[in-house]
Amino acid sequence: MLQLKPMRTPFGRKLMNKDNRIWRLLKFSLGKYDSRIQQVDNGFFEKFGSLFREQAEMAQNKEQEEKQQVAKVAAEIAPKENEEDTEPQASISGSEGEDSETEKEDIKTEFIAAAFNIDELYTEILYVILHNVGCDVNIDVTQTALFSYAQDAFRIPNEKHRQLLEIAENKEDPELIINVEVIEAKELRPKDSNGMSDPFVTLYLASNTSHRYNTSVKSMTLNPVWEEHFALPINDKSIDDTLCLEVWDFDPAETVKEKLGKFFDVKGVKGMRKLVKEIAVTATTGQHDNELIGRAKIPLNTIPASGMTMWYTLDKKNKLTRQGVLKVRVSFSSGKNNQVAAQEHRHMRRIILLHELEMSQVSPYWWCGNFSPQGDQLLTQHIAQSGLSPTEVALCSYSVYAGIHQKHPLSFNLFSKLLEKLIKPLQTELVMEEDMNLLWDATRKLLPSCFSAIRKIRKKTTNEKTILKQVMEVLKILNFVIELNPTNIDLLPSHLYPWISYREDGPNCDIRGALNDAITQGASDWFNYIVENNKETESTALSKLETLTRLIQLIRSDLQKAVEYFDKLFIELVHFQYAKCLYTFYQAKIATICEPEVREICKNLKTLQYTGFSFGANTKNSDPATDPLAEGTSLFNLYLTIQRFVTLGQGICPVDYNTFHIRNFHQWFQVGVAQWLNIAVYKALQRIEKAVELDQLVPIDNTVKYSSSAVDTLTIFYQVNTFWQQLNWPDVESCYTFIAKIIDDICRCCVFYAEKMGSKIEGVGVVENVYEKKFEVTNEWCLAINNIDYVRETLQPFAQDLGMEAVLKNILDLKSPVEAERCRDTLNVVISNAIDTIQNKIVEFLETVVKKMTPSMKRLLIEGAELFEQDTNSVDRLMMYMDQNLETLHRELNDENFNRTLELIWETLSKILDEIIQANLENRRPPSFFSNLQKTLTLMLGVYKNPDDCSSCAPLKNTERILKIHGLETSDLIHEVHLELANQFDQLHESPYGEISLRCKFDEDILKIEVINARDLAVMDSNGTSDSFVRIHLLPEHKFSNIDKPKTKTHHKTIFPLYDESFSLNLTSEQRQQKNGLILFSVKDKDMMGYNNQYIGEAYVKFSDIPSTNGSLSNLPQIKKLLGRPTSLDMSTIKALEHRQGDKQAKEFLKKFKQRLVS
Amino acid sequence: MRSTTKNPLLKVVILGDGGVGKSCLMNRFVSNQFDEHSFHTIGVEFLNKDLDIDGQTYTLQIWDTAGQERFKTLRTPFYRGSDICMLTYAIDDKTSFKNLELWRKEFTYYADLKENNQIPFLVVGNKSDVPREEREVSQLEMETWCNENGITSCIETSAKNASNVQEAFKMAVQHWLRLESRADKNETATNDTVDLSKKYGDNRMSCCVGGSEESSN
Repeated sequence: MLQLKPMRTPFGRKLMNKDNRIWRLLKFSLGKYDSRIQQVDNGFFEKFGSLFREQAEMAQNKEQEEKQQVAKVAAEIAPKENEEDTEPQASISGSEGEDSETEKEDIKTEFIAAAFNIDELYTEILYVILHNVGCDVNIDVTQTALFSYAQDAFRIPNEKHRQLLEIAENKEDPELIINVEVIEAKELRPKDSNGMSDPFVTLYLASNTSHRYNTSVKSMTLNPVWEEHFALPINDKSIDDTLCLEVWDFDPAETVKEKLGKFFDVKGVKGMRKLVKEIAVTATTGQHDNELIGRAKIPLNTIPASGMTMWYTLDKKNKLTRQGVLKVRVSFSSGKNNQVAAQEHRHMRRIILLHELEMSQVSPYWWCGNFSPQGDQLLTQHIAQSGLSPTEVALCSYSVYAGIHQKHPLSFNLFSKLLEKLIKPLQTELVMEEDMNLLWDATRKLLPSCFSAIRKIRKKTTNEKTILKQVMEVLKILNFVIELNPTNIDLLPSHLYPWISYREDGPNCDIRGALNDAITQGASDWFNYIVENNKETESTALSKLETLTRLIQLIRSDLQKAVEYFDKLFIELVHFQYAKCLYTFYQAKIATICEPEVREICKNLKTLQYTGFSFGANTKNSDPATDPLAEGTSLFNLYLTIQRFVTLGQGICPVDYNTFHIRNFHQWFQVGVAQWLNIAVYKALQRIEKAVELDQLVPIDNTVKYSSSAVDTLTIFYQVNTFWQQLNWPDVESCYTFIAKIIDDICRCCVFYAEKMGSKIEGVGVVENVYEKKFEVTNEWCLAINNIDYVRETLQPFAQDLGMEAVLKNILDLKSPVEAERCRDTLNVVISNAIDTIQNKIVEFLETVVKKMTPSMKRLLIEGAELFEQDTNSVDRLMMYMDQNLETLHRELNDENFNRTLELIWETLSKILDEIIQANLENRRPPSFFSNLQKTLTLMLGVYKNPDDCSSCAPLKNTERILKIHGLETSDLIHEVHLELANQFDQLHESPYGEISLRCKFDEDILKIEVINARDLAVMDSNGTSDSFVRIHLLPEHKFSNIDKPKTKTHHKTIFPLYDESFSLNLTSEQRQQKNGLILFSVKDKDMMGYNNQYIGEAYVKFSDIPSTNGSLSNLPQIKKLLGRPTSLDMSTIKALEHRQGDKQAKEFLKKFKQRLVS
Repeated sequence: MRSTTKNPLLKVVILGDGGVGKSCLMNRFVSNQFDEHSFHTIGVEFLNKDLDIDGQTYTLQIWDTAGQERFKTLRTPFYRGSDICMLTYAIDDKTSFKNLELWRKEFTYYADLKENNQIPFLVVGNKSDVPREEREVSQLEMETWCNENGITSCIETSAKNASNVQEAFKMAVQHWLRLESRADKNETATNDTVDLSKKYGDNRMSCCVGGSEESSN
């Protein structure tokens, strides 16, 4: 017998990990994304710049890379730029050239002028050498060396030198003066009772003690500040003299009180001096109570030629304690006319510098003020001996250097330092107009090189540090010039600065304006240069786009450098927003260049042909020239590049940004967006195909039930999303529409994926051996289904990720709630349509699986039915087949899809069985065939089907019933007819045939029946009455063949006959226990001849309804039964009998049955 | 659990000048509503509607587009893959009628139609409810234009009083069905005959050429 095989996999186990966090999960599994897929299109999505750059670090890497790339490009250009540099420079040096022409003239005349007195100047130098002063005279530099140096510098022949030296030697010694500034004293010893002093200083030379100089008295202080100047002539030609400084306490004696009283009567400065002198005289002649606080002595030979400022300790005879400190500045000077000296010094400095530059061959922009020891000594000595002040020296240097700078550029640092020295004195002291002119003149000469440096800020020849330093110094210079506040001075003559946009009448001294123009001009030069050097190779749109992209990248890197390096300097040093100035310039340029090109290219974009999806053949096609997508891709690249440029602008000029034309750059591209969306879909489809092709149909890991292509496909969607995010389209209305389009497209991708998955899996699972060919549900099939389901589940989150809500919110704000709602509806319909479509695809898949199982199921069912009794193996085989496949499905699919599959299987099973029944009835199979089928079905239902879940039971129940009927032996089948009629008649509420009253009971095995009467019998005779009798049959007939079929007497001409007859039938106990036993009461109309009795109607009483009692029958209640007649042959049982054409019993029964039919 | 039915899906695109009543037409058809003061459509709108024809239910996916020029780039991507295109004008607006030509071109260009692949166009003259004196396009003009352009289906509708709206969509689907069955026939026909006739044709050609040469000699 058949062994019931329990199902190995229990139901209700949740196998699928239906995690809603798929989308998030995806982001983790991105790492698994097959790089071969991106090779399909050479990393199309990846190339879109910052695809996975959500992670900041990666973003940075990329930036870095890009920067390096740009730097590389820049480096490539750099050498060229140098060659070319002559070009833009030519224009500058053109003007400079003119300038230096005139300058040369100047120098010449100056030299000529100097030539008249060059001998004189040389003599002066020799004289200076002869009279070196100061302790800092470099003894290493001998007089001889100095002579020879001077001779070289002045290019004096030996003969002349000797001649002039003689003159110098005979010249009078210089009149030297020692300048003393008594600045302040500190920590003086208190001399008065109040703990204070009233100090003043007396100073004199040791060689001439009678000639004393006094400062004013500072009362009541121990830290007096004097800041008073004194000039002491040095009579002694040597410098062995000593300067003495004495600090005294002024005694407030009565005489002094008087004098102090006079203090307030004194008028004018002279009077005051007199008073002080008087007091001083009193002090020195000893006729006073003044007290010495301390004394300092400075030997003149300790003073350097360049002068010095020092704190000196005060001491007092016999006193070891410190009496305080005194700050003094001492320096030498001469009695020479200052202006003469200054002019002399300028000439000398110029000649020496020119000589040194010639000798040292120092590079341009390098010399920063360091002379050789000889040169230095000569100049220092000249300064000291001419008594030039530091300010005068700085001005001389500035003037001389600026002049030389024109021909041989010197370090900017030199100028900025000089200006730094000059700025305060020039601002605070009264300066002679002549000196100011000198300053402006020099500045005028200096500025062109400054602005030139600004313009050539991008020069790549020197390293960045040097440039930075240079720019810094230049900016310092400019700032000083600005601080000097030039007014009405033509600092920037228009013939030197053709690029300056200064349009006012009168002299131009607008440094800031010029700076702005210089920066713009520099940017413009550079821009023109890169445009010139990045000309598109072909005149194709592609080439144009690539060129534009490159240009903007270069510009962007320039801006970034500006922000990183220069902007701070400009802002700090000259309060100038360098990057902003540049950005303003560039954005206008880019807009002018790009807009028309982009609009034109967009207008001519060809629509993309991709209806066929036949990628397989040309996936290797990566040649951009023949790639139909290249144009759109490049256009997108340009879009992204401009977008980044614009973003940069928002950072650089947050305020002005809104006025920039480039702000609305996206409008230029509007027409191209549709193309990009198409390209994205096209690429996505291509990648999906590749993903399916590469899929090994194994789970990507143990925790999930889907394979690589599902993850890959999701990744592709994610890429489309990234593409969309990158597009970052600003226009709300278009955004909404594009989202609708993307969702629609993604749906298309899903369907495409499902189709590709379908054709990949098509041949899998067919097992063929010598005995049979059958289909087996494999893990691959389940994975394929799960894959599609997995992809479907992400549609909703995908739509959300596209930023649907934000866009709808924007529409709400921009338009109206009604419109936002309508847009939401549209998007939702598009999404739910997409989900429905995929759902249908999944169902299609499941149907395919079941359809593939059908032939095997059918074959095994038929075999099982044929051989059920002889061979249980065939049923076993069916069960095994089902078991195996269902187990796989249950294990691999999620509950939803598994249940869906089960339903499909039951549906199919009932269809198969119906087919088998139909086919085999025609083949006149014995009832056992059908009953075997029915047993098999019952078995299967019992094993696989949850009896509570009956959503698809109806067709199966019906099939089962039909099988049961066909499986019955004919006599049983006939009884089935009666049972059905019995049930049918029990439902009657009225009858045209009348009603019969009965009593029945079992007494042990004796069946006692009393036929009491009938009412309202149908009229059968022409006289309006009937001649009725009742015959009693026990059914099923073949079980009661030994029993009589008694009948009542005929009651004539009445439709209310009173039969009143009792019958007693002796049954065997087996007959008594007959299941489903029936008593059939047939009421007939007796024909006159007795042959052709007419049928009036019939009634059934079931054995199961008959009481078993030994009491009197008459005590039992009457049973009233409405009479019925079969109404049609359309009963499954009758039909089954009709199929049994060779069966006599069936044939006979049918013949009689037809008589019983309602005519 | 299983999706109810898998009806054939038909993608319908409604085109025409702004203000001729495309959205009204769709809303009347889908939800039997009419709003006198409806808004300009933003880009596109999309609705589903099932339609019974001869016992078969078809699901129409209707894309209603914005007629204004500024929306051109937004609507054109949706043309691809359409099964039916409804060219719409308003009978009281001559310009909208004249523009049908432009709409047809725009659609044909962006839908990327293949040569043999004929899309059923349906010309719809909306606003048939306007008073007689305001009518600017006669039914005859519409029919003439359709004839000249090889369009066999046209109808006047009123979204306002719901006249002929259902009929218009029904007509479109029936037209599609006719084209579809013809296309099927053509396909089988071409498989059987075209290749052969081509071969014969080629032969005959060479024959003729040869013959003429001979005769000229």
